[in-house]
Amino acid sequence: MQQVVNGISIGAIYALFALGFTLVFSVLDRLNLAHAAVYAAGAYIGIELVGDAGLPIWAGIPLVFVAGGVLGVVIERIAFAPIKSRPDAHFGGLIASIAVGAMMIALLQQRYGPQTKRFPPDTFPNHRYEIGSVAVSLLQLVIIGVSLLLTLALWWLVNRTGLGRAMRAVAEDPHAARIVGIHVDVITATTFALSSGLGAVAGVLFALDVNSALLDMGYNIELKGLAVIIVGGMGSIPGALLGGMIVGLAEVLTIAHIGSTWRDVVTFGLLVGILVLRPQGLFGTRRARQV
Amino acid sequence: MEETTFLLMAINGVLAYSFYAVLVAGQLSLAQIGCAAVAAFTAVRFTPDDPLLGFIPRLLVAIAIGMVVGAVVALLIGLPVMRLRGVFLAIATLGFAEMARITLNNMSWTGGALGTRVEKLVTLPIAVVVLALVAYWFARQRRSRLGRALDAIREDELAAQAMGIDVARYRLVSYVTAGAVAGLYGVMYAYFTRFIEPNNFNFPAAVDGLVKAVVGGSVVFVGPVLGAVFFELIPEAQRAIGLEAGWIRPFLAGALLLGVIVFLPGGFASLIPSRRMGRVRQPAAGPIPASPPSTLAAADPGPVDADGAPELLRLRGWSKDYGGVHAVRDVDLEIRAGEVLGLIGPNGAGKTTLVNMISGFVAPSSGTGSVLGVALGTRPRADRIARAGVGRTFQHSKLFSRLSALENVLVGAHRVSRPTFLRRLVWLPSADRDERDALGRAWAQLDRVGLGDRADVRASGLAYGDQRRLEIARALAGDPQLLILDEPAAGMNHVEAAAVGELITSLAADGVTILLIEHNVRLVLRTCTRIVVLNFGQVIAEGPPDEIASNDAVIEAYLGADTTTAPSA
Repeated sequence: MQQVVNGISIGAIYALFALGFTLVFSVLDRLNLAHAAVYAAGAYIGIELVGDAGLPIWAGIPLVFVAGGVLGVVIERIAFAPIKSRPDAHFGGLIASIAVGAMMIALLQQRYGPQTKRFPPDTFPNHRYEIGSVAVSLLQLVIIGVSLLLTLALWWLVNRTGLGRAMRAVAEDPHAARIVGIHVDVITATTFALSSGLGAVAGVLFALDVNSALLDMGYNIELKGLAVIIVGGMGSIPGALLGGMIVGLAEVLTIAHIGSTWRDVVTFGLLVGILVLRPQGLFGTRRARQV
Repeated sequence: MEETTFLLMAINGVLAYSFYAVLVAGQLSLAQIGCAAVAAFTAVRFTPDDPLLGFIPRLLVAIAIGMVVGAVVALLIGLPVMRLRGVFLAIATLGFAEMARITLNNMSWTGGALGTRVEKLVTLPIAVVVLALVAYWFARQRRSRLGRALDAIREDELAAQAMGIDVARYRLVSYVTAGAVAGLYGVMYAYFTRFIEPNNFNFPAAVDGLVKAVVGGSVVFVGPVLGAVFFELIPEAQRAIGLEAGWIRPFLAGALLLGVIVFLPGGFASLIPSRRMGRVRQPAAGPIPASPPSTLAAADPGPVDADGAPELLRLRGWSKDYGGVHAVRDVDLEIRAGEVLGLIGPNGAGKTTLVNMISGFVAPSSGTGSVLGVALGTRPRADRIARAGVGRTFQHSKLFSRLSALENVLVGAHRVSRPTFLRRLVWLPSADRDERDALGRAWAQLDRVGLGDRADVRASGLAYGDQRRLEIARALAGDPQLLILDEPAAGMNHVEAAAVGELITSLAADGVTILLIEHNVRLVLRTCTRIVVLNFGQVIAEGPPDEIASNDAVIEAYLGADTTTAPSA
């Protein structure tokens, strides 16, 4: 039971990270591999806001979201926008976002140095609750709560607002969306901003959880995020949440029962198994091919 | 620069080629790094300590083991991911590669995370020779039948199938080639660095290889070498000008990568002027064979009707439902050799669905049938039907847009040409002859549709009418027995449409059987020997043109009530 709580808490971070990934994919049909760099940036910016600027953490997290949003727009402008009309834009965007991600990590190194950065010791109250034999920390509850809240908010935004309707229209057909008067470029930028905001918050939550930020912290979660969106179904918001939980639980249970060195084999086994047996994922819809 | 720099260029160039091998076929696979890992550890483990049989050098033995293991691993990974495309393929293959790495990490025979010591056997001359051989392999692949088939799959898989290309098989060929080259890289790397651990073959390493192939250029064979050289030169250049702060190097590398992607879509290789095929007309080797090699078309022609003309196509009770929509209902149809059969009907009558079923792209919901001796079952194979001799064009042009007009038509000749790659590797003159035969065929068809003077233009750069005619030329290059034209005159003005009509008439005179779907009724009435009218998925009339033109049901359903004006859609 203790493992389940730990799994859900780490899964909530994966879900939040994957949510951003899957949002850009579903609306714009692009895979943004700079997302992992935004995640790392979120962690460092959070530490700077709390550690150097002295802000309380509850004020820091929304600011990290905003900073992530700005980074998202920058990524869209320099990696995706210049090549969007090319026939191989899909592939080019992948490579261009790898490039921008590498540049962002380099800039983080310039600003924060290569060493591990940590939050000040009393950033977050160290409360623990015992429910039967299960121990839950306040931090775990906050991580799960923030993730759920942001997932719900995103779901509401996409399905219940005019902005969401415009995003879905762009997802369906950008050309037709432009014809009916939707500002496709604005929607594109907004989508990237939301996506990166979520990624940055995932980063700061993870940094709180393990109390450290590293330059290459995004590398591991990038692969996890891919696994999550495949398991949950590309483009599905509930799928990303559930996929995150499944991957988080699978990991924690593997560590407990098989051994920590096999953790990622199970994750990727899950990923490959789903892709081979049900490529659209648990919640995704299959796109028909056209003759 | 030190020798190590050049060695790294050569070895990383080999890795970049393993990505090039799949990228030319449009397959974004990242499995190669996993193949390299398994190959490297297996080769190091099983290569004997002394020369094999006393004279075969150990490195050669290791390379042989590595390439075989790499190819086998690639095949095993390739089979289950056959259904996947694009990003999904990339993620699945990455998942396999990561699983391979972590499994190796957990094995005792690899030394796990502690790694394995390896003797240094790779020297600069060896590395350069190996890279040159790999580059040679891909240089010879490029203008072979195999190379063209891979180009076609990269540009448009469905159109490639319509040319008779077995897409699954060729995709596997590209995976296995990539796996073998990756295995070669793994072995070279191991016997160069003296020490390997599974983490040498992780995700960033895969991205490195991919980036080098893309930056160098993934369509021209020298690309991977350029990419590898470029990325080894960056640190050298920074050292030379004294920019060595820790963050500057990765920042500049990223910025340069971004610059290449944004400003040089084809990578560095696009800076090298290359001859696009079709600029120079080469003399044909000899007279172009008028008909396809008969072994290919030896399919059972089917029952012979009263007039003595064999039936090429026979459908009985064909239906296709999409959800609750009956796109095609209970259609019986046959086409006899030598006919020009027109298929007309209002929009949504089910014409294109019927054609897609005949050419194997869509499975019927019910019904039996066969075309040129191939049964049209519930799991049709478009490439098999194309190889039996069915050529087709598409309602919306499906050209290989980045290939020249001539290259498009050359792909069309896939069915009637022989594989040339292996013979090209050893410069057999017969391969050259076959290639010139195929070229002659392609030129002849281009001339036939009047595109002889635009042979070197990219398909995407042709005018709309020219694109439609290029599709016809491409289908003709396969010497089809049955040619299906799906609205060849759509969107054309009446002069162009008349030219298409003349082309169809001349093809019929040459004995090609034609199934013509067209909205331009005037064109159909003039060119066809028999017409079938479809409405709401059902055949409502059938007969010679003059009968159809005066058939009341047809007039009501399609031509409208006013019969005094001949409609032209």
